[in-house]
Amino acid sequence: MKLGAFLWATGHHIAAWRHPHAHVTAGIDINHYIQLARTAEAAKFDLLFCEDAAGLREANVGIASQTSRSIGFEPISLLSALAVQTSRIGLVSTASTSYNEPYGLARTFLSLDHLSGGRAGWNLVTSASHIEAANFGATGLRPHADRYERAREFAEVVTGLWRDTPGQASGSGHDGQSFSVRDPLDLPPSPQGAPVMVQAGASDVGRDLAARTADVVFTAAQTFEEAKAFYDDLKGRLAAYGREPDDIKIMPGVAPVVAATEAEAQAKYEELQELIPDDVGVALLSSYLSISDLGRYPIDGPLPELPESEGMKSRQALVIEQSRRDNLSIRQLARHFAGARGHWRIVGTPVQIADELQARFEGGAADGFNVMPSYFPGELDAFAALVVPELQRRGLFRTDYEGHTLREHLGLKRPAWT
Amino acid sequence: MHLAVSLLSAAAEAQPGSGLDFAGLARLVQKAETAGLDMVLVADSAPAAGGDGPNGQMPFEATTLLAALATVTSRIGLVAAASTIAHQPYNLARRFASLDIISHGRIGWHAAMAPNSREAANFSRPEGFSPENFRRRAEEYIGIVQGLWRGWDADALLFDQAGGRFHDPEKMRVLDHKGAYFSVRGPLNVARSPQDAPVLVLSGLPEPDLDIAVRMADVILVDEASVERAKARFSDLKRRIAACGRDAHSARVLMTIALDGTTPPTASADSLEELFRSKSCDGFNILIPPQAGAVDNFSDRVLPELRRRGLFRLDYEGTTLRSHLGLAGGGHQ
Ligand SMILES: Cc1cc2nc3c(=O)[nH]c(=O)nc-3n(C[C@H](O)[C@H](O)[C@@H](O)COP(=O)(O)O)c2cc1C
Repeated sequence: MKLGAFLWATGHHIAAWRHPHAHVTAGIDINHYIQLARTAEAAKFDLLFCEDAAGLREANVGIASQTSRSIGFEPISLLSALAVQTSRIGLVSTASTSYNEPYGLARTFLSLDHLSGGRAGWNLVTSASHIEAANFGATGLRPHADRYERAREFAEVVTGLWRDTPGQASGSGHDGQSFSVRDPLDLPPSPQGAPVMVQAGASDVGRDLAARTADVVFTAAQTFEEAKAFYDDLKGRLAAYGREPDDIKIMPGVAPVVAATEAEAQAKYEELQELIPDDVGVALLSSYLSISDLGRYPIDGPLPELPESEGMKSRQALVIEQSRRDNLSIRQLARHFAGARGHWRIVGTPVQIADELQARFEGGAADGFNVMPSYFPGELDAFAALVVPELQRRGLFRTDYEGHTLREHLGLKRPAWT
Repeated sequence: MHLAVSLLSAAAEAQPGSGLDFAGLARLVQKAETAGLDMVLVADSAPAAGGDGPNGQMPFEATTLLAALATVTSRIGLVAAASTIAHQPYNLARRFASLDIISHGRIGWHAAMAPNSREAANFSRPEGFSPENFRRRAEEYIGIVQGLWRGWDADALLFDQAGGRFHDPEKMRVLDHKGAYFSVRGPLNVARSPQDAPVLVLSGLPEPDLDIAVRMADVILVDEASVERAKARFSDLKRRIAACGRDAHSARVLMTIALDGTTPPTASADSLEELFRSKSCDGFNILIPPQAGAVDNFSDRVLPELRRRGLFRLDYEGTTLRSHLGLAGGGHQ
């Protein structure tokens, strides 16, 4: 079983920063992150994972000011700092294909790979938010299909540059639809052959791009059936690109709330839920539905009918599906999603959580999990101290690193050209 | 006297493969910190390398290297070159803002002002830029970056857990820049710098473009010139800075020089002293090859001589790069 430690601000729960044990100044405290990285490394996690957005997460400043997510470290600089403060754990940063150029991004990730001795990964996203778009020109968010077409070309150029670094076959230029690149990179080849390619994006085109280029897929799924369907679908797409099922590791997000007893875990979860202001919860839900005015519908009424999103198609579908399945009101949905943004949440004892993870892992619905602690550092500490040993006892998770590079941790082949 | 060292500027002369790994670079910068220098400048060679071979110096891109160096040093200023072609202004402003928080206020951005057609060809601009276009674009770009760095007031973060107020909405400002080349809304999703804003270093400016530097730069790097020419240029720059409504001391002019390792220390100190005392600069940017021992020569031999003559401070007086340079900002003067 592969495990990622997903770092985000003060915690994945939207109200985490208000929890008395959360580290409220996380967004300006590098030592806090060094500590988290060392905790995760001591627990033998495969990787640290950082989300990203090139802009605020929330347009309404009144809402934004009630969360801790408007400020934080830019993840490539953060992981570069962590690279030399750790020695084994993988370092995966999200970066957008919509607001970068492939030459610069390929070079930056290769540099992170050298700083870390072959532990870097790039999570490719296409950026679905209007807020980000406004920081990169006046033309607004481009349609979903265009963003993915650009992403496909982007990924092709980046992997080409990694392959053609000096010392390897000499690079030829690229002159395509969205990008042109003349020279090979000026850095030595990657210590792990190439940085690991991660992808988050679960729409049909997103899955195809993952099947073509990704080594790891990060995804959101609530039920076993959803997770299993996604897993089988994605693995099934690999053959079309000449790849084997094992060439991709699928790691859905999981937001555990763990304590020694079930009652304690439940109380911990309730304590967090109590801290969510209604307007913050509804705003967060709106963003996953790509609808700006959800607040004008009665909060205890049902979700209105919505047009299909040009933003995050997969997340919108997931929310709508959940609202129908469980017949939830806007308030209930908002509170539900505020905890883990649509990812799978488990509240329970270490044994219960290990049971659940084991069932999805052995049931063929996941190769591992991206662990999303509800607040930092406490919930990462708790997972490392309570759940990891339980997984190790069952022989599901390593007791020490087998190799040094991220590819080695994940059991991924080196790219064919190396 | 302010003193900086530039790593890798002698890249072209060094042997491929003679560069240092991270541990070696870290030792070099730590040595410069022990010596009490104001800052280290790291070049970014991708564009300049011309793509015709491995960069023998450096397996690293400069901003990622700076983040790593920030965690193994505590006082010295760290400045990285980053081009206005390789990054979107929002992304660049954000990277440097983040570096500044990682380093507790010790970061600078060196925006080289010379257009590089080779670089543009790797960033989907095969047609390059005309010099005029490049200059106007760079000026707009730098204005955006500095504007984004000031998007959060110093006291914007409240951390009020009980009241549910993480930050004060009144103390965050959107930039809403709409210009000839860029449209950027802002604000940055990184907190304000501990030194208010990273230090802006400009270099390589031809005479007509010095207007940009006197308006925007915190540090202006100029080339070595005869004492007479350097004096005239220095007083002209200071006059122009004041003419923009800035305090004449609010931008530091450093002269870039290559010290010859074979010149006796006293002679080196003599020439630095002469240039400095004749009011031809605020200090020096010393080029050193990125090799072990390169800093030692300067810090163990020339620096004690400068200190003996009362030309250079004995130790850091503040914690931020702005405070080392005697620039306003950061409240850690
Ligand atoms: C699990 C998951 C995590 C994601 N994380 C990010 C992120 O950190 N930053 C981002 O800009 N987009 C993120 N996305 C969005 C997608 O990568 C993609 O950019 C967006 O267009 C949605 O794509 P889709 O419609 O294919 O799901 C994430 C998507 C998923 C499914």
